[in-house]
Amino acid sequence: MSTIPKSGINAKIPLLPERASITRVIQETPAVRTYRLVFDDPGMMAAFSFEPGQIGQMSILGAGESTFAISSPPSQKDYIQFSVMKTGVVTTAIHELSAGDRVAVRAPMGRPFPVNAWKGKDIVIAGGGIGMAPLRSLLMHLLDHRGDFGRIQAVYGARTPADLCFAGDREEWERRDDIEFIATVDSGHPDWSGSVGVVPGVLESMSPPPANAVAVTCGPPVMIKYTLESLEKLGFAADQVFTTLERRMKCGVGLCGRCNVGAKYVCTDGPVFSLRDLRALPDEL
Amino acid sequence: MRFIAEDAIPRLLEHLAGGGRTVWAPRVVRDSVNTVLFAPWSAGEPVETGAYTHLSAKAALLPPTERLFGFGYLQAAGEERIELEPEEPEESPVLFGARVCDARALAALDALFFPASGGFNDPGYAGRRSGLTVITLACTTCDSACFCSSFGKGPAETDGSDLILYPVANGFLAEPVTDAGSELVRLDLFQDSRLEKPELAVTARVETAGLREKFIDLFSDIDLWRQVSEKCLSCGFCAYACPACHCFNIFDEMSGDREGERCRSWDSCMFYSYTLETSGHNPRPEIAHRYRNRIGHKFSYFPANRGEILCTGCGRCIRGCPAGVDIREVIRTVQER
Repeated sequence: MSTIPKSGINAKIPLLPERASITRVIQETPAVRTYRLVFDDPGMMAAFSFEPGQIGQMSILGAGESTFAISSPPSQKDYIQFSVMKTGVVTTAIHELSAGDRVAVRAPMGRPFPVNAWKGKDIVIAGGGIGMAPLRSLLMHLLDHRGDFGRIQAVYGARTPADLCFAGDREEWERRDDIEFIATVDSGHPDWSGSVGVVPGVLESMSPPPANAVAVTCGPPVMIKYTLESLEKLGFAADQVFTTLERRMKCGVGLCGRCNVGAKYVCTDGPVFSLRDLRALPDEL
Repeated sequence: MRFIAEDAIPRLLEHLAGGGRTVWAPRVVRDSVNTVLFAPWSAGEPVETGAYTHLSAKAALLPPTERLFGFGYLQAAGEERIELEPEEPEESPVLFGARVCDARALAALDALFFPASGGFNDPGYAGRRSGLTVITLACTTCDSACFCSSFGKGPAETDGSDLILYPVANGFLAEPVTDAGSELVRLDLFQDSRLEKPELAVTARVETAGLREKFIDLFSDIDLWRQVSEKCLSCGFCAYACPACHCFNIFDEMSGDREGERCRSWDSCMFYSYTLETSGHNPRPEIAHRYRNRIGHKFSYFPANRGEILCTGCGRCIRGCPAGVDIREVIRTVQER
C-alpha cells in the first residue's frame, strides 16, 4: 500500500523570500491573470528547478503572501508562471501588478505528481476552472516527454467560454494528434462551437480505459466530487487517481499549523495526494 | 550535592546576566495585580521562585510577535527595487525558574524549529536556542490543575534543563544535567551540602496510552466533539498559555508607504479565521471541529509525525480557561468511549 511520506520536503525553503520581477501579465479570463516572473538573481533563476504539481508562494511585500500552483512546465527555464484568480486581499493586490513590478517568491514547495512512476502508462487529465493551473504544467511536461507515456486524454472545463484559461495552449492541444483534448463549458455561447457539458460527463464520453492508466483531476470541489465518481464508474481504482488539495497556508514548510488534514500537511505532504492516500485521512476537507 | 542559599539567587542572576545575556525569570509583572509571568529580569527586581507562571516560558524562544525581516521599495537609477533586511539572530538568553513542564516542551519545539534537532532552519529560534541555559525549579508541591505525572518521569524529568534547583530550607539543592549546569554549580555562590533531595510533587494523572489511534477512530463522532467542547468560547487562551503550542500567523506591516516588515505572531487553531479560505469555505467551521483538531494535534497527529505528545501536563490551559474547559476531562471522556 502506498503511504504519504513524512513532512520535511520543504525544509530548505526559508521564510525569507527571493526577490523577483514580473516580466509579463496575461489576462486569461475576467478574473484570472497569469504572471510570468524571473528571480532578480540570475544564478537563482538558472538553478531553479521543480516538478509538475509543486507550488510556490508569491508576495507583494506589504500586502502579504499567497500560495499558487506553478502553471509553467519544468522545461521552461526563462520564467516561472503563476495563474492567479482575483479573490482576496493579496490576489487583488497582485491583479494591480504589471510587467516590471517587483515581487518576492518562495518556491518550489510540496510534493509533485509522481510522473516518473507514470512512465509507460496512459494518462487521463480532468481540470476545471483555475484548477487547470497545475494540470497545465503537468500536461506540458508530459508533452515534453511524449515518448515516455501512453495515450493522453484531457478534458478542461469552465462555466462559460470566457472562463477558460490558456487560450493559446488549448489551440495547440486541440491541433496535436498525439493528445485527445476537449475543452468544454457548462453553458454555451453563440460564439462557442466546442463541447457543452460538465467535466465528469465529457470525461465519461471519452471513456478512457483504466488498465495501465492514471487519472489526475483538479478543480472546484463539486467538480472533483463528480469526477471521482465518474472515474470510479470507468473502473479507475483509488491508487490510480490523483488530485491536489488546497488549504489556507502561511509558512509553506509544515510549521505554522493550519493546512493539516489529520496528521498530514498539505504544504509538505501534498498538495498532490492519491485518492487512496486521501481516503486514509480524517474526513476534514 | 551543591546548595545555593535563597538570598544568593539575585547574585546568581546577576552573574548570568553579566555577559549581556537576557535572563528570563518568573516575575510579578508591574502593571498587573499579581500575575506572574516569565519576563526579562533586571538587577534589583524580585523573582518569584514559589509561584506558577500564568503563561509558559515559550516566549523566551518564540516571541508572541517576531519580526522576520524588514523590506523597502527603493528607487535607484530610475528603477524600483526591493531591499530585504533579514533579522539578525539574537543572543541566546538564560531561562531561570522554568518548571519541568516548560523545559520538557523544548524537545517538541526543537523538533520543529531547531536544525540541530532535525527541525526547520529557523534563524530566530535557532539563535535563541543554540546557547540557551535552562535553570529549572523542581516542584515539591503542585496544584489541582497540574498533571505532569501523566508523562514520563513527571516532576523528576530532567530533559530540557541544564540545572535543576530543588527547594529545601533557606535555599535550593542544585543538580546539574548538562556541562553548562556543572559549570554553574562550580561558582562560589554554591556550597557543598549533605542535604537530601526533597520529595517531589505527585500530580493528577490522565491515561494517554492508545489515544493516538483512539482519536482517529472517534474522529467522525461529531457529537462527542460537540459535547466535550460545549463550554469552549474559542478564545485561544489555551494555545497562548501552552508551552508546546507553536502555530503561528505571518503578516506584513507597513510603516509609511515605501517600507515595512514581515512578522510572525502566535496563532491558535481555535480561531475561526485560522483555516478560513478566501472562497468562504472553512474546513473547521464549528468550535467542535477546531477543538477536535487541538486534541488531535496534541495526542494523535504530532505523536504520529514526531513520536511525542504535544502536552506536558502543565495545567495552564485548565487554570486559565475562562469557560472551565479541562483537557483532562476531555481525554477521559474520549478514553471511555
